[in-house]
Amino acid sequence: MPAQRTQSRRSSAARWAAPALLLVLAVAGSQGATPLRAPVIAAPGVANPAHIAAGGRPPPGPVVRNPYRGEPAVARAGATLFVSMHCSDCHADAGAGAVGPNLGDGRWRYGATDAAVFRSIYFGRPRGMPAFGGVLGAQGVWVLVTYLRTLPPPPDRPTERFTRH
Amino acid sequence: MGHILRHRTGVSACVAAFIAIAAIGGATGLVQADARAVTGTATVGAPADGEWTMPAGDDSATRYSPLAQIDVADAPRLRPVWSFSTGVLGGHEGQPLVVGDTMYVVTPWPNVLYAFDLSRPGYPLKWKFRPNVSRAAIGAACCDVVNRGAVYAGGKIIYNLLDGHTVAVDAATGRPVWETKIASVADGQTVTMAPLVVGDRVIVGASGGEFGVYGWIKGLDLATGRVMWTGHNLGPDAGMLIRPGQFHPPYVSGTELGMRSWAHGSWRHGGAPVWGWISYDPGTDLLYYGTGNAGPYDAEQRAGDDRWTSSVLARRPENGALVWAYQFTPHDSWDYDATGAMILANLTIGGRRVPALVHFDKNGFAYTLDRVTGRVLVAKPFTHVTWAKSVDLATGRPVVDPAMQTGDSKGDVKGICPSLEGGVSPASPPAYSPRTNLFYTSTNNFCMDYAVHRVTYIKGTPYIGVSSPYTAGPGGYLGAFIAWDATTGRVVWKDEEPYPSWSGALVTAGNVAFYGTLDGWFKAVDARNGKLLYRFKVGSGGVGAPMAFRGPDGRHYVAIYAGIGGDWALLAGDTSSADPTDLRAPNPLVKNLASRTSQGGMVWIFGL
Repeated sequence: MPAQRTQSRRSSAARWAAPALLLVLAVAGSQGATPLRAPVIAAPGVANPAHIAAGGRPPPGPVVRNPYRGEPAVARAGATLFVSMHCSDCHADAGAGAVGPNLGDGRWRYGATDAAVFRSIYFGRPRGMPAFGGVLGAQGVWVLVTYLRTLPPPPDRPTERFTRH
Repeated sequence: MGHILRHRTGVSACVAAFIAIAAIGGATGLVQADARAVTGTATVGAPADGEWTMPAGDDSATRYSPLAQIDVADAPRLRPVWSFSTGVLGGHEGQPLVVGDTMYVVTPWPNVLYAFDLSRPGYPLKWKFRPNVSRAAIGAACCDVVNRGAVYAGGKIIYNLLDGHTVAVDAATGRPVWETKIASVADGQTVTMAPLVVGDRVIVGASGGEFGVYGWIKGLDLATGRVMWTGHNLGPDAGMLIRPGQFHPPYVSGTELGMRSWAHGSWRHGGAPVWGWISYDPGTDLLYYGTGNAGPYDAEQRAGDDRWTSSVLARRPENGALVWAYQFTPHDSWDYDATGAMILANLTIGGRRVPALVHFDKNGFAYTLDRVTGRVLVAKPFTHVTWAKSVDLATGRPVVDPAMQTGDSKGDVKGICPSLEGGVSPASPPAYSPRTNLFYTSTNNFCMDYAVHRVTYIKGTPYIGVSSPYTAGPGGYLGAFIAWDATTGRVVWKDEEPYPSWSGALVTAGNVAFYGTLDGWFKAVDARNGKLLYRFKVGSGGVGAPMAFRGPDGRHYVAIYAGIGGDWALLAGDTSSADPTDLRAPNPLVKNLASRTSQGGMVWIFGL
């Protein structure tokens, strides 16, 4: 994976936060993507659609959108960031799952929305998922979310067959 | 440490007397209880022959039981007599303890301690101890949330919690006596190893070779839990507890070796964790333990030998002073931890009686050292090895195949054997029988490709940087249980297994060796020739270590955990069914393993 190595060398030359920022800026500049908007912070009050709402009334909270959703150049940058920020050391190459869960199976422990995935990376989760918001900032986290949402779920998800057909 | 020696001898004599009374009197539960009371007064000692009071059964880490009731002739009549679900799904490494009429079981995170009353039908619980262990530690544990067991001393059960604490629990009541924070999860340290008690010191270490730790071992005070000394395994001499004129490594000399063998101060996050087993020889008054891999996995980021990663270290238990060290894998470029057991045995080599230390390394070589000096006497491969041709006995160094050297400038290096899982996992401790003079161990037979990239240290995250897919080794099998002659360095017999063999070993005076398989078989084999005597499907893959004890009824039993996990929680994620939001594809190396087994922790006891 030469692309990963190129990026990793750059990251080792600087502090960890620098490559993330450089990366995002490079993507925005070279690919002619939508100029980056001001950082979007997900407030702790964002509703998790996976939670049951008492009385059938979800609590009101800010609407949080992924500013890069579906942008291929950002997703490619996110794939690089996924390695240089050590995500792949726990979640395996392409997020296939190792210490941390599979991120490419189309199933999400803490909710399937971009905002829920953002919250997991930005604030961390109690089973040892570190909070990356402090080193990556909201922009860097959204770049990662954009990458993760492009991972194609494998076919035949619910059934693992052991007999030959 | 003469006083320790005298103390030990005295206790052993007392226990032996009680055992003799028990044998004459018919081994009633009452007599057994008295024997336990005597043992309970000892700080440490050779256990009564029917007990199993420390991780490997004795200080020498032999995992040999002198019980002979289950012998080669009777073993085919073994049957399961009891089982118990621990309610925990993580990999069940390690082994139970038996002290008097109580069996103690430590689970993986959340590290519950169960005490079973072996004197009552159905072995009901006397109590269970549920520490409040942080969930954050789960994500800082590289390779499942395992625990390798407890030790008994001074009336206390002592063990480690994943989140960096050592706890002592009153063996009779289950009440906590002391708890000491020894490690920092925020710095990537978790604790999975089995402590050992030597005199009034509790010896503990921490995992974290995948998180850039500055590895260490500590001696705690048995009575209070206070940290009495901390000895680092790398870095400056002062931090390593190297005292002028007292450190004598057999093949190198000089000062600040633990710093000067690392480029650019890379020792600061260089690893050398302690996640395996400790052994102790009262004759040399040295404790012996292995250190883990160097970090990060890109060896070019830490040019030099990287001492003392992938090494065995010998220290004084009282104050931690480092006496000698030997490095099995200098400049570790393959994740070859040396945390496997250091087994102490007196062997006859070339007609000479030798105080030996035998170690099966992840790197595929088995080493027989002189445990007084640390010099290598025998070093031979016990499984398929390609990374090195041999070990040079004059220099103690492996003769590395240059084509197998990894690094970020080397690209994807293919065909390295053994894989980074090891020719044997350090989580699979071997056994030694003084009756057959053979060593018994699980082994793995698979290889890897290894592509590393440069990484930057980010506190609280992994410090690894490798892609290392596995491929099967030659011969059509992925693992084997072997008998090894450590005086000559040869395999005496080999029982091939379809899957990697990941359990510890037990051998008894009845010449029966026991192990578990990854696909869930508990097996008894003839220690002389490997012939299968008995097997039973225990319900989940075996990654723990069998142990033997005499019950209050005077009968001989063997216990083993079921509960696949450890590295297999990562490598065979499809053996888990616990999380509907985490579906794993089968591992190509063991693609049918999930058709044979699934997660689930249980304790099994077998008897006649």
